[in-house]
Amino acid sequence: MTIESPRETGAAVASLPSDDLLLSVRNLRTHFFSREGVVKAVDGVTFDVKPGEILGIAGESGCGKSVTSQSILRILPKNGKIVDGQILFRYGDQTVDLAAEDPDGRVMRDIRGQEIAMIFQEPMTAFSPVHTIGNQIIETIRIHQQVTKEEAHDQAVEMLRRVGMPNPARNIDEFTFNLSGGMRQRAMVALSLACQPKLLIADEPTTAVDVTIQAQMLELLRDIQADLGMAIIMITHDLGVIAELTDRVMIMYLGKEVEAGTVENVFHRPQHPYTRGLLSSIPKMEPGRVEIEPIEGSVPSPYAMPSGCKFHTRCTEFMAGVCEKRDPPLIEVAGGHEVSCFLYGGREDLE
Amino acid sequence: MTDAIQPAGRGDRAIISVRNLVKYFPIESGLLRRQVGLVKAVDDVSFDLNDGETLALVGESGCGKTTTSHCIIQAQRPTAGEVHFRIGDTRPVDLTKMEKADLKKARRNIRMIYQDPYSSLNPRMTLLQIIGEPLKIHGQVKSQDELRARVSDLLRLVRLDPSTLNRYPHAFSGGQRQRIAIARALSLSPKVVIADEAVSALDVSVQAQILNLLKELQRELGLTYLFVAHNLAVVKYEADRVAVMYAGKIVEIGETEELYTCPKHPYTEALISAAPNPDPDTKNRPRIVLTGDVADPGNLPGGCSFHPRCRYAEDLCKQETPPLMELSAAGEPSHQSACHFADRLSLAGIGAAELTTDRDAA
Repeated sequence: MTIESPRETGAAVASLPSDDLLLSVRNLRTHFFSREGVVKAVDGVTFDVKPGEILGIAGESGCGKSVTSQSILRILPKNGKIVDGQILFRYGDQTVDLAAEDPDGRVMRDIRGQEIAMIFQEPMTAFSPVHTIGNQIIETIRIHQQVTKEEAHDQAVEMLRRVGMPNPARNIDEFTFNLSGGMRQRAMVALSLACQPKLLIADEPTTAVDVTIQAQMLELLRDIQADLGMAIIMITHDLGVIAELTDRVMIMYLGKEVEAGTVENVFHRPQHPYTRGLLSSIPKMEPGRVEIEPIEGSVPSPYAMPSGCKFHTRCTEFMAGVCEKRDPPLIEVAGGHEVSCFLYGGREDLE
Repeated sequence: MTDAIQPAGRGDRAIISVRNLVKYFPIESGLLRRQVGLVKAVDDVSFDLNDGETLALVGESGCGKTTTSHCIIQAQRPTAGEVHFRIGDTRPVDLTKMEKADLKKARRNIRMIYQDPYSSLNPRMTLLQIIGEPLKIHGQVKSQDELRARVSDLLRLVRLDPSTLNRYPHAFSGGQRQRIAIARALSLSPKVVIADEAVSALDVSVQAQILNLLKELQRELGLTYLFVAHNLAVVKYEADRVAVMYAGKIVEIGETEELYTCPKHPYTEALISAAPNPDPDTKNRPRIVLTGDVADPGNLPGGCSFHPRCRYAEDLCKQETPPLMELSAAGEPSHQSACHFADRLSLAGIGAAELTTDRDAA
């Protein structure tokens, strides 16, 4: 399928593989086209999100975690294109393939903010500095819902209260520059949740803030999730945040999934050499001396991607004649725990 | 205060002694730029940096950790206070009183590494120029051949290929660039290196490489590090001693393991509790989530600056600023805290869930 596929707005072009899924991303490929060449930022990624679940997507810079989220919301930069794959989303009682929708069309505009909302790393970029936060939250509500200004105002105050703003009735008339960093983060969460979306995508929301504010933010997301029951996709490079917040995690490297499973499985029984390397390179908050072991080398340039398994150039388990030959298959090593590595199979015909 | 910081027998190993360091920035307003307030970025900070150790300055944004390091190297002149610098058995010199020419000589021994290797390296200079510049400025090389040889050695020291010395920074990844920045910092064989968030901008796998490289270089060259950082896990791995700063003051300072397992200041306890741990088993551990934001150094609360966020605060905390006091007995490694109730509170450190019962039993 290409980007020129069906355009009938709102038409159910496909069905979700299972009834209890909210989102199903199938074999997504998002590439960037520039003078220097093609960057395969996301290159065949598949994952599901159930209603009310918290999925983490983790990886280092250039792994495609942010591009994945931009693809779902169809807010890619101009030179980025979804070249293949499906993004199936439950929209009311039908299923929509977001990858096939017009990014500026009716369906996408209805879904953004109403069904899927996003919070960003830097709250100052999410808000306009010349409007009060109240105005912006009320605007969002009134775009998606048939309510009066007064009703929208009350909903906005209620949402500000839920995210723990100290004085919602007054805070609603404040500008972002009057708020402290922690309050801005809360206001941003209130804005994103104004229409009670089914899915919240959080892209590195705690990266630019201090440790104590990060702890507040994680607690807020936990509470709000328990309260409103929406699903969350948490995108971060910080494995600590993943362990603290999420139920399941997908680890990415250079546009590919390398491992996915429950947080317990992936953190306690990591199978992929990259996951193991990542976990052993982070210093731990544990008593006593814990050595760390870095992964050798650095992430290759996106214009000079390695052949075969993208990690083979840095891998300690590299098998010549296998790993550089072709993409490793995704293999299920335990219930719901999948690894993309030849160590666990798929190399029989190569040896 | 100075006496409390340096009891007899301690401080002999100090290579840098910071005493009562103060840095205020005026807040000006109106047409006449009248001074309407003061940002107390660093407010009476004293500590020793011992020869061969790694001392970490940790704290959240605006706590004064970077300003402190700038005041040590005299990139910013402090408002008040002294910074004594001593090499070997020579008499200590006070950097704050030095003239420019003398400072240049002293700075040969105190070098800095910055956070972002994309902005700290001039993109139009080759590695030879970047790393060789300090050598030329300080007249350490006589010929171009000698310069090339010295820069090659430095590249080898930071585990880079010396044949790359004619290349430009854009050809290198973030981690390699930070190695270049380290090579430049080490070009004059300094005694002290101040690393200001030197690994914060790097990916985790590369961050670990640089942390280990810094440790190896310290062993090989006998370097002393002042390690400015906000990531507590990184600091725990890298530092021998830790000074925790809040709103321009050191609130706690002690040996790393001791400070992390038995914190003596409620702010340290909260920081340790808030740091995310990459272990899903600790997901449901009890956490201390501080309310409110970091104190505004331009408008500090009275008494202890931390009292509005402190869960143990009492009336005394609102009125009196607690001094940094020694808590360990003579002969034991120093552990100081600036809390009125430091000796009475029983605070939780890392691994606290298991420790609670032990403490109850004791």
